[in-house]
Amino acid sequence: MTPRGATRAAGVLAFALLLGGCAGPGGPAAWDKSFIAKPEMSMGWNALGTRADQQIYESKEAASGGYGVGGGGCGCN
Amino acid sequence: MAATEAPRLRAAAGTTAAWGASLGHTPSILAAAMALPGIAVAPAAHAEGKPEGASVSLRTLAYQDSQPGLRRIRAISPTFQVVTPLMDEDWWLNGAIEADSVSGATPRYHTAVSGASRMTERRTAGDVKVTRYLERLSLAGGLAGSTERDYKSIAGSFDLRWASDDQNTELSVSLGGSSDAINPVNEIVVDAKRTTQQLALGITKVASRTDVLQATLSYSASSGYHNDPYKVLDERPRQRRQTVMMLRWNHHFADGGSTLRSSYRATQDNWSVQSHTLGFEWVAPVSASVKLVPALRAYTQTAADFYAEASYDPTLGEPFPVGYDRNNPPRYISLDQRLSSFGALAFGLGFVWDADREWTFDGKAEVYEQRGRWAWDGNGSTGLAPFRAYSVQIGLTRRF
Repeated sequence: MTPRGATRAAGVLAFALLLGGCAGPGGPAAWDKSFIAKPEMSMGWNALGTRADQQIYESKEAASGGYGVGGGGCGCN
Repeated sequence: MAATEAPRLRAAAGTTAAWGASLGHTPSILAAAMALPGIAVAPAAHAEGKPEGASVSLRTLAYQDSQPGLRRIRAISPTFQVVTPLMDEDWWLNGAIEADSVSGATPRYHTAVSGASRMTERRTAGDVKVTRYLERLSLAGGLAGSTERDYKSIAGSFDLRWASDDQNTELSVSLGGSSDAINPVNEIVVDAKRTTQQLALGITKVASRTDVLQATLSYSASSGYHNDPYKVLDERPRQRRQTVMMLRWNHHFADGGSTLRSSYRATQDNWSVQSHTLGFEWVAPVSASVKLVPALRAYTQTAADFYAEASYDPTLGEPFPVGYDRNNPPRYISLDQRLSSFGALAFGLGFVWDADREWTFDGKAEVYEQRGRWAWDGNGSTGLAPFRAYSVQIGLTRRF
């Protein structure tokens, strides 16, 4: 698959997930979320570490983003 | 950024963040929050949950990169972060300050060691975010700023999050913007500007009692000066538009108690750069209070359409690419390794030690390497030296 093809496929997958997420009820009941409540199950777990990792990658690669908005630019990129 | 003896690193590869840099994203703090094991109170699907309590965190990142024959950039980057409620438990402030010391050498074109420019730089950055939590809604506004000798940036953001009745679905909308001023020490430009706008839409879904999924689609558009003023033959378009699609999946193994955090990111921009990133972190408990976190990241990108390969004109010599016409130079050109086609791998090993109810220590060591022949499509750039980076992070958090 070409990079462009893979990008499109990923886009379709994301769209499907968005639709599925909005549409279906699904998911566990409130009393059945002990595993979900673990800190490492949160997307925001270890945010400072993630931030440091992204500093490294984004200063050495042409792509960036995907973890949120609102950051300023800097002279290293 | 700013150079002392000569030009220096930088490279408008991305629009946000960077070495020593970044701030790419206003982070939420150790959203380790919502961590009450066995609770019946349903946590939302949150990407960013309401903090469980106030905390302060300190983290230091040490970094060194190199290529054969040249130790390039080294950096020390301490970050201090505070999370605290304001007035009542529905208003929260998340603020961070970071001070980077960066020094070393970087090639002025491709990976040429000869004539590499040396630099020393200090950067100070800070961000603050205030969040108001309502029953199923949260609203957040943020400001971020960064200053270096020759680069200043200010940014703002707004987030809206909404959770479903059963707290199994969370939708988010985020808006962001930044304004940068660039004054390179070589005065190749004076007070050059760049502005960026960002929009992101996301959904986080608790798919089962052991699975959380997230999809985020974001778009950024930047306008203005994107050149690297410290590299030779660098002239980039003044507009850059990038689309990013991110999928994340956290799965908990109920049997062993470990968690696999997986992600896939695809990006595409109007410079013809496409990238794919796969990331895996395995959070594995080794005792009641210690977790080990092996991590793997694989990345690939295509080259910008104005990137010139490291093949030089036999008449003009380096750094002029084959066919370069001095009387009629191309409108856009860059010899920056970061805009070439390559693949990259990173291996990391981290730990988290919850010493007691108040203190958590964590750390991570990682090695990162990129090579042209590792490009996933087999069309990687040639003539570039392999690039390697080592980093170590150490952090501590005190909860109140």
